[in-house]
Amino acid sequence: MNNKFDALKDDDSGDHDQDQGSPKDGEKEKTEDEDKEQSISKKKMVVPGAGEHPLQYNYSFWYSRRTPGRPASTQSYEQNIKQIGSFASVEQFWRFYSHMIRPGDLTGHSDFHLFKEGIKPMWEDDANKMGGKWIIRLRKGLASRCWENLILAMLGEQFMVGEEICGAVVSVRFQEDIISIWNKTASDQSTTARIRDTLRRVLNLPPNTIMEYKTHTDSIKAWEDFHGLVNASGGR
Amino acid sequence: MIGTLLFYGLYPLARYLTGRASDAPKKGLPPAAIDGTAVWDGGAVTTRKFTQSQTTLLDQQVNPSSGSKRETKERMKAQSPVKEDCKRPDTIKEQLMAVLQRETTFSQVQSAVKEGEAEMQEAQQQIKVEALKKEDAEIDHDVFCTKQNIEDGTDIATEDVSPEQALGAQFESLQKEESIPTITCQVQEKTQIPSIQESVTLAENGVQYTTYPVIPAEESVEYTIHPVEEQIQSLEESVTPAEPSIQETTPSVQEQIQIPRAEDLVTDTESAAESAECWDEYLALNDGARNSDLVFASLLANTQNIAYSGQHDTETGWHFPAGPGLADEVQCPLWQFPAVSYYPPAELTVPFEVIWRVWEELDESATAAKPALIPFPSTKASMDFTVMSYNILAQDLLEANQELYVHCPLEVLDWSYRCSLLLQEIEKWAPDVLCLQEVQENHYHEQLYPVLTQMGYTCVYKRRTGTKTDGCATCYRSSCFSMVSVTPLEFFRPNMELLNRHNVGIVMLLRPMVPQGSEVKAKGPLLCVANTHLLFNPRRGDVKLAQLAIMLAEIHSVVKSCKAKGEHCNVILCGDFNSVPYMPLYQFITTGELYFQGLPAWMISGQEDLSHKAIFHRLFAPLWPGDLGVSDSCQYVTVEDTNESQSRVPGMRQYSHDFLLRLRYCPHAFIPPDMQLIPGVTDHTPVIEFVSHRFRHTISHRLDLESVYKHILPGSGNSEVTTLHSEMGATVDYIFYSPKRILPFNQKAGDDSKSNGLKLISCLSLLSEDVLWSMKGLPNHIFPSDHLSLLAKFQLDLHAA
Repeated sequence: MNNKFDALKDDDSGDHDQDQGSPKDGEKEKTEDEDKEQSISKKKMVVPGAGEHPLQYNYSFWYSRRTPGRPASTQSYEQNIKQIGSFASVEQFWRFYSHMIRPGDLTGHSDFHLFKEGIKPMWEDDANKMGGKWIIRLRKGLASRCWENLILAMLGEQFMVGEEICGAVVSVRFQEDIISIWNKTASDQSTTARIRDTLRRVLNLPPNTIMEYKTHTDSIKAWEDFHGLVNASGGR
Repeated sequence: MIGTLLFYGLYPLARYLTGRASDAPKKGLPPAAIDGTAVWDGGAVTTRKFTQSQTTLLDQQVNPSSGSKRETKERMKAQSPVKEDCKRPDTIKEQLMAVLQRETTFSQVQSAVKEGEAEMQEAQQQIKVEALKKEDAEIDHDVFCTKQNIEDGTDIATEDVSPEQALGAQFESLQKEESIPTITCQVQEKTQIPSIQESVTLAENGVQYTTYPVIPAEESVEYTIHPVEEQIQSLEESVTPAEPSIQETTPSVQEQIQIPRAEDLVTDTESAAESAECWDEYLALNDGARNSDLVFASLLANTQNIAYSGQHDTETGWHFPAGPGLADEVQCPLWQFPAVSYYPPAELTVPFEVIWRVWEELDESATAAKPALIPFPSTKASMDFTVMSYNILAQDLLEANQELYVHCPLEVLDWSYRCSLLLQEIEKWAPDVLCLQEVQENHYHEQLYPVLTQMGYTCVYKRRTGTKTDGCATCYRSSCFSMVSVTPLEFFRPNMELLNRHNVGIVMLLRPMVPQGSEVKAKGPLLCVANTHLLFNPRRGDVKLAQLAIMLAEIHSVVKSCKAKGEHCNVILCGDFNSVPYMPLYQFITTGELYFQGLPAWMISGQEDLSHKAIFHRLFAPLWPGDLGVSDSCQYVTVEDTNESQSRVPGMRQYSHDFLLRLRYCPHAFIPPDMQLIPGVTDHTPVIEFVSHRFRHTISHRLDLESVYKHILPGSGNSEVTTLHSEMGATVDYIFYSPKRILPFNQKAGDDSKSNGLKLISCLSLLSEDVLWSMKGLPNHIFPSDHLSLLAKFQLDLHAA
């Protein structure tokens, strides 16, 4: 990737005897202060640590929570969503995941998002704007397990749809939880069908589970209709 | 238990008698004994000191507060039902008429020994334990021919505290029985019988027992022990009247062995003399002697269930080495005393050497299955074979680590000298399968391979990867086995930090060759022989485990492929594991499972206690990376698994759900430094969630393996060592084998012979650290390496399913 990272890796692998307890440096090079101000696309990318299992893509965890009492808007959505961190290997993923509360234990109107690094979990992102998502509504109590199964399948490249997958979301709501997986091209029916079948398999869903595919265009439209903000928000 | 106690009792008895016998002529006094009292005090220079120290130690050990020997003996008696029975001879005799006479004889012999008891008590009064070894050594030096041998003997003798203890107990109990003094005359007579000029090594319970040369009578006195032992055996039979077969067995024992009668002193002396006679016979008929040994063993087999714990050991025989080489060793049988003869005096003219290591019988039923009493079918149903594992110390490593061998005279470090000793040792024990470690490549090609080939071995060599010049060699006797397959294993994995070490192993699949009529055919159940030398580094138990896992996975795959063809495959896993007994790595091999999470890496092998170190690495799951291709049950990840966890699309990094879960709590599960802290969301404390069985902190394997050696010397209770250099002595070499498991229930009579597995018959006794130091450590003029060879004899059922 760049020289700095390569040098770090070499340092690691050179130290054989006692180093196993020492921290691996996969995410050291992830930035602290300076990058926070920068846009995601300019952010330095994480690399797998020495001896770790690299993922096909780098991913980022996000968290969002609707501020109670205030009407949602695009602006507030973007403000409410926070990036938790990025990872490039299986080991790094577990480090994040193990410190995150399980979705089933989240309170209020909140979401976890796991997206490929560089893709914002928003309909408007370039990677998403032509896309759509599969939605599965779950009764309470199932979200944690299903979410884990879903993201492990995604990270492990089990969907076999090339670069189509963008990310996954778990949304904790009042009476139900919703998990969804986003892909790039809503019009590609073979891809969406394949994603659906894989979902059934990896989530081990009962056959009568209702799965719904929604294009983001429809989502935007529905959202605008609901909020009546077509004009007010200036083109949202 | 009883058997062990009795043998503990007999061992010092033998020791005592020998020592006494040797004292008498030394002082030039005629040996004399009067009913149950010791008169030999004049000659008891050396022996008495042994006795003294032993009894003193004994008292301290068993009864430190009172120091009363009598009390100790009382305790011993209480533990031993046999001895209690001895105290009530009347009842027993009524019950068991058939063995009455021998029992009486037993008491006779014991009464002769009673004087020893008296003397021990005398000796105890003047307690002087310290510096006895040295004193003895000096005194002996004047009298006997080589100092070294005596030192050795002394060392050994002082170890034997607990047997002495048992002896005392036996004496005590036997004193209460009617004692017939005439037996002492027998001892007396025999002491006048001159002995052969060689030293005698008596293996009792596998412990070396060195007696001294040049002493007339010594030898014959030793023989008298054997009638006693026989009687004890028969006594054991007698005290267990519940066993129906006793009535049948005992007469036959009598016939075969001609146990001396109580009322007939002449017979008694005769039998002692007979024992001397068999010396001659054995020299002529080595094999015959062995047979007779087996015959007796078969007779004993009936008693096995009663009085013997499975641990009971018998002697195979004695070794009488002659000349500087070890090859001239001869053996003397135990149980056969066919005729009467007296020996003419003989002079000590030839220098001799002591044989330090002897066969230790471990399975009586195995030998019992063979005797001639049972008519044999035309084809043999089983075959015996021996396996040796030997780290021969590569010369390059010796020279690289000279500080470990500063105690050695330079000449024993010379390769050509060590090589010739090594080849002699191999030739002497003639193992059918030979697993060598630290075989230097050039030495293998230039010296070992040519000679071993000439000896009839077929050899496979695997040099270590990297720059080290040594490796492993597995050889088998071509007349006994044919090779089905062989896999040299390298543990080195590039790009895998855990496996960056250059250790190797060899896994070989052998088929036994069985003579069938006139021709020899490859037949019988397969045998997988695995030979390895794991990483030494005491701090890196994790590496050792990973190397072992590769080894086990290969063995698994061999066994599995045999099973796929419907064949059972026995397993022998041997080599230098650089791990001490009962520590996690050892436990993993023998129990098949290890919970490793959080264990310090140094503890895995236990070679050194590094717990004082401020920082040491601990083990966390997964122990080895998934792309090693070895599962945590130590089996190769199969093709289906591989498909799941690895790429179906080239270049695609695919991971299965299970595989990802296995990496879950990796050692680095600390909070990532760049993680955004969101209270209530990302400040979750990781919980060990036992979500499913897939998430394991345990490694396992499905090979049923047991160690041949039990790591404690049976006689003295001292630890065995397989390696010794200037820094430490320890057991790090092993022969593991898949044992024959006999289920106590659900077993028809015929099933026994058809069950799979190897039956361990005997092993070559190891030595304790102080004995080895008495030989000036390792390597020395007898043992050419800083390791001892391990040697085991197995029995293989040829008709096994």
